[in-house]
Amino acid sequence: MYWKFVFKRIIYGILMYSLMVLIYSTLFNAVADKTLRSQIDESVNQEMRFVRTTNGDEFSRIRAQKLAIKTKQYHLDEPLHQRIFWRTVRTLAFDFGNSTIIKSSGGDRQVSAIIMEALPRTIILFSLQVVLAVVLGVIMGLYAARRPNSPFDRFNTMITLVMNGMPVWWLGMIAIMLFAYNIPIFPSGGMHINPAPTGFAGFLDYLWHLALPLITLTFVSMWSIAYLSRNIFLSSLQEDYVMAARARGIPEARVLFGHTLRTSMPVIMTIAVLGLFSSIAGNIIVEGIFNWPGIGNLYFVAVQQSDVPVLMATLAFQTLINMAGFIILDVIYGFLDPRIKVGMRA
Amino acid sequence: MSSDNKFKALADFWRTFSKVRMGIAGLVLLGIFVVLGIIGPLLVPFPDALSHWRDINYWQDNPVASPPAWTNWFNPRPGASSQVLTAPKIKQEEYPGDGSLVKVDYTFSYPFSATSGPRDVVFRIAGDGQVPILIDFRRPDGGAIEVYRDQLSLSKSQLFRVSLNYNSQAAAVELVRNENPDAAADLNPATIRPAQILFSDVRKHTVQENVALKGDYTFVVSLLLAKESIRTTEVSVGISGYVSGFMGTDISKRDIFTGVIIGIRWALILGLLTSMLTVLVGVTFAIVAAYVGGAIDWFLNRLYELVYLMPVLPFLIVTSAIFKPSIWTLIIMICLFFWSGVFKPVYSMALQIKQEVFIEASRALGASKARIIFSHIFPILLPYSFASMALSVPAIIVYEASVSLLGLGDATIVTWGQILHDAFVQGAVINNMWWWVVPPGLMIALMGATFAFLGTALDKILHPKLKTR
Repeated sequence: MYWKFVFKRIIYGILMYSLMVLIYSTLFNAVADKTLRSQIDESVNQEMRFVRTTNGDEFSRIRAQKLAIKTKQYHLDEPLHQRIFWRTVRTLAFDFGNSTIIKSSGGDRQVSAIIMEALPRTIILFSLQVVLAVVLGVIMGLYAARRPNSPFDRFNTMITLVMNGMPVWWLGMIAIMLFAYNIPIFPSGGMHINPAPTGFAGFLDYLWHLALPLITLTFVSMWSIAYLSRNIFLSSLQEDYVMAARARGIPEARVLFGHTLRTSMPVIMTIAVLGLFSSIAGNIIVEGIFNWPGIGNLYFVAVQQSDVPVLMATLAFQTLINMAGFIILDVIYGFLDPRIKVGMRA
Repeated sequence: MSSDNKFKALADFWRTFSKVRMGIAGLVLLGIFVVLGIIGPLLVPFPDALSHWRDINYWQDNPVASPPAWTNWFNPRPGASSQVLTAPKIKQEEYPGDGSLVKVDYTFSYPFSATSGPRDVVFRIAGDGQVPILIDFRRPDGGAIEVYRDQLSLSKSQLFRVSLNYNSQAAAVELVRNENPDAAADLNPATIRPAQILFSDVRKHTVQENVALKGDYTFVVSLLLAKESIRTTEVSVGISGYVSGFMGTDISKRDIFTGVIIGIRWALILGLLTSMLTVLVGVTFAIVAAYVGGAIDWFLNRLYELVYLMPVLPFLIVTSAIFKPSIWTLIIMICLFFWSGVFKPVYSMALQIKQEVFIEASRALGASKARIIFSHIFPILLPYSFASMALSVPAIIVYEASVSLLGLGDATIVTWGQILHDAFVQGAVINNMWWWVVPPGLMIALMGATFAFLGTALDKILHPKLKTR
């Protein structure tokens, strides 16, 4: 029964993902066609350089033939709806093709290679940030919930509300200005100094470059997690079993960490898992500000250069990650709480 | 519900609301923002800025990239402050001849106390026709130099500008030659900065050191005018200093305080309008899905999932890149995404309300679906809608700022995001021009906090459980 639910959920997720890729494909098709046609033109011209013929008619006939073959190969001779369909199918099959402008550091133009190069950088920065923010946030939330309306709790709430409307990238700009130019203890951006050191020195250099974006991101996101977990803890501290535990004379630390934290863990884990998954997509502007060459940065460069294959692949990839996160959560929940499977039918 | 009842309900609500300090703080801040949003553009030092924000000519008398004026308090070597001298003393004198011409002296006094001269002094003359001009520069040590003499052809449409730096090199050299002949030998009129020299103590120091001479300076602008054009002629003096205004200027010489204040209007419009539309769409969808059920319910729920899973900012960027960047496109795009935020909670609430007896009774009385939805279910969910509306404003403002920061904002309006975009692109971070970066971001945060306060206060009233133990 459970496996049937899991299977259904995954199939449903794939259908949803296909639908979204179809939407992206439609959106990009006009732009994508143009870039594809110019790519074909370029490659045919390249090939024609090796054709040795002095006859002008012969030359243009061969060229037209080659163009026709390529056009057919990329489905460009077909009507619009079929092209949208084929782009969707290719994207779903992870066949992203070649980029138009962007190259990987190795000079590779394969979109999948470009993405695979940027992905680990984003994952390291943002998953570290989520882990740090959750740990710090939960500790702060626990302290705030223990004494609601204490100065610390009020301060926490206040900061959360102010931080809530503060752009992360703006704080990033301030952080760079403060700690890279006024008090130069961190580099202003990038991933390593040039030329990149190797071995242990390289690792230290990497950490040094990682520090400022990591601290900024953690500093911003920990407050809202603290506020959220404070509310969760507050409601579980009102439960009868906490009162009972206190009445039994169990030390306050054990009530907090044993009873309260443990029962609230599923909700907090949800926040953490969702945060982890959505963080893999990177943050376009923060990566841009700190010049961190991850997925977000790649996306922005692709927008500026209107490199449609990279754009399409990145967007599809981000959606896929999001989708996978939700499916995994649903599956875990379904395992823990059988009622959720029923909700599937609604 | 009669109007009397409504009034009583409102009064009740206000009594509860006024006890939440955070809500009052939010309300006061919102009031200040609304007032500034309406009359702010009239109060700022550059009242036409709203329509001239990207007009280089409008800002040309301001200094480039100067810190705020109050930084002088902390600066051991305060720089000259930017200001505009208007309202000169006017003296008229009949000019010998046929009596049709009048010599008019416009006398400006400028108390100067900075440690180095201003960047430039620009004399601005508005008038009409051919006018002979003579500008006298009187220093506190009693020296007087003629810095400019010419025949101007003034036109009504444009201010005529005489700048010390561009028009008075010879006068500056002359001053040094008279007062301190030793130092004058190596002066090259092509490379000197006359404004610096004219304000420096040339007698005691060499020109290279440039120690300013503090005291009261007087500029006398004498024009030879026809009698009938005296009234239409105006003279003012712009001092371009090293510090400027309350928040300094940017690289395009724009006054940042002005920009920050006129940015309030669009932040408010964007935040309020978009959140209202968003919540209206979300709540309507949720109630319709819950109440009507069936295929519509299924469809709206799938639509919700679709929108919920889409990465918002990347999608906004792509659509902004495809369509022409405009604030209305942005508002529509944000609405398309953000309605999903209220959908699920309202949906589950509406499912509960649907089972209530009064709905059943109203259905038994033959009320239409639309009537039940809009006059029975909607009013119950209204307070919740207001709370989530207020809570969604900060995110909307941040999204606009983010899209603008990427250079995809509407170029016909002024927003804080666009000021930050200019700052980032033109190297404010690298050049440590904090006065350009800090104020717009703080305003975004403050505006966000205002609505977060309001929303949290409403939330507290609606869900009293979490208030305290």
